[in-house]
Amino acid sequence: MTRPSPFSVRGRHALVITRDEREIANVRRQLNRLGMSVTETDPEQPITPQISVDVIVLDADTMPIKCDTAPALKANAPVIALIGTETPSRLKWLLDLQPASFLIKPVRSAGLYTALVVAFDCAQRRIEEAAHVEKLEERIRSRRIVFGAVLQLMRNHALSEDDAFTLIRQTAMRHRTTIEQLSADIIALGGMPNRGSRTA
Amino acid sequence: MAKPSIPLGLVFSRSGPYAMMGREMEKSALMAVDEVNQSNEFDFGFTPHLRDPAGIVPAYHAACDDLIRQEQVEHIVGCYTSASRKQVIPIVERTDRLLWHPARYEGFESSDNVIYVGAAPNHTVVPLVRHMLEHISSDVFCAGSNYIWTWETNRVLREIVTSAGGRILAERLLELGETAVDHIVTEIIDRKPPAVFNTLVGESSYAFMRALHDASKRAGLTIPTLSCSLCEPELKMIGAEAAVGCITSSAYFESIEIAENRAFVARWKARHGSDSHVSVDSQSTYVCVMLLARAIRRAGSRDVAAVRRAAANHRYGSPQGPIWVDADNNHCFLTPRLARSVQGSQFKIFWEADAPERPDPYLSSLDLASFAAKLSHGADPAAKRPAYLRVVK
Repeated sequence: MTRPSPFSVRGRHALVITRDEREIANVRRQLNRLGMSVTETDPEQPITPQISVDVIVLDADTMPIKCDTAPALKANAPVIALIGTETPSRLKWLLDLQPASFLIKPVRSAGLYTALVVAFDCAQRRIEEAAHVEKLEERIRSRRIVFGAVLQLMRNHALSEDDAFTLIRQTAMRHRTTIEQLSADIIALGGMPNRGSRTA
Repeated sequence: MAKPSIPLGLVFSRSGPYAMMGREMEKSALMAVDEVNQSNEFDFGFTPHLRDPAGIVPAYHAACDDLIRQEQVEHIVGCYTSASRKQVIPIVERTDRLLWHPARYEGFESSDNVIYVGAAPNHTVVPLVRHMLEHISSDVFCAGSNYIWTWETNRVLREIVTSAGGRILAERLLELGETAVDHIVTEIIDRKPPAVFNTLVGESSYAFMRALHDASKRAGLTIPTLSCSLCEPELKMIGAEAAVGCITSSAYFESIEIAENRAFVARWKARHGSDSHVSVDSQSTYVCVMLLARAIRRAGSRDVAAVRRAAANHRYGSPQGPIWVDADNNHCFLTPRLARSVQGSQFKIFWEADAPERPDPYLSSLDLASFAAKLSHGADPAAKRPAYLRVVK
């Protein structure tokens, strides 16, 4: 699978959440120059999760600090924050949204493209990291199964722990399966599945 | 012979949600302009150009754009809220003008094109919280308006209080302008907190102070309240009884006993009526115009870069005492003070710093460990609780 390039922004869709007319005009003009489509919404409007949104450009200053829209934003596309107020209380609220990128207001023609590229790259990395973490967690979850299979072979064949594990690893390689899958089979069958003759 | 005149932009909301403050500040700016124009100490005068953005945030940008392009002003005195200042900063930075900003604000800003004459957070909230910890309680109930000033003031309060081992008992927020305060007052009477920190503004604050006063009286309670924004004209609006007893932090009170202030208050009352009151923000607006006039005189020019250089570290004996601009961050050295509101819409000052304090807009010099140390040296925090409170275990 090839990664989508963060540099190609044409055709992507931005949701712009701000109230400031001048900021909206600047953001819209620059996004249109880049070939992106834009949906605008007021900060007080409830945000419905939209699959088609690739990035959210959010005016952090106009969002009420105690508001219900924040959870809806979290599940969505990467967030670029437009920042005017740099007080820690405001930034703390912003950190909860895990912004992928930010710009200091007023928005000018320079800077938005960089913010978009960083946001798209950040979003892609987050997806990849989430997949990687999922894989690692799956391994941790199956550690008990692997340990159970090792114990089974140690008892059945009077092997040391190291030898039992080596046997599982080598057999898994030969069977073109994972250690975790083979371990599950060993526990289910009460011993090593007898497929050795086919590959010998 | 008429003196040469320098155009001066004045941007105050005479209408809209905080029109009362806007009008007071504009009155003060015009008084300072008249004094400069009539004074032999200045060989120039100001021609004021007034704009009223009516409290509408984008209108501040339009007003300043117009002042700069049409009236050719280099210098603008004005703004009250942070939202309005944030509108003006891009245009004064782009066109290299100077905004002289009178109001205190929450900090975390430092533009080369703004002179911050109002207090920084180290001048207001920090001494107030220190006093609360040392003399009232380390536990506090917060009531505030739901906007940036409250969020940031409460954050600083929370950091200091928790590092001193105290607790924020509650943080209740009301939308700006909301006057339905009964649910908060009821909760306070039920829970009897040892202190209430009030960051409500305008009508919300007045309604809250009146309702809390009435309810406390009925319940036979005296609950100390603290504020870092209350001022004399507001005490008058709250009403004689309910306005009494609030511990307030500010760089200016009408009751400051120095010659400069007595003369200033006398001039103010002669001009605006004997029953009128000077607020911290109107005094600060006056100081803005005077700092500007003195910097222009010192620079021999109205040029922005020259005026900025001339303003830096140039000491002015203002009504609030000596004040000067810190060249590092364009904020002012001010003397923090604490006072208690008393009868007659006045404050009785009970503490002031020994000398003007360096502005610290990012609170980068705030030493939280010093608060923890102070409390551990003191008595058991429970012993500081007022006698009417039982410790419920």
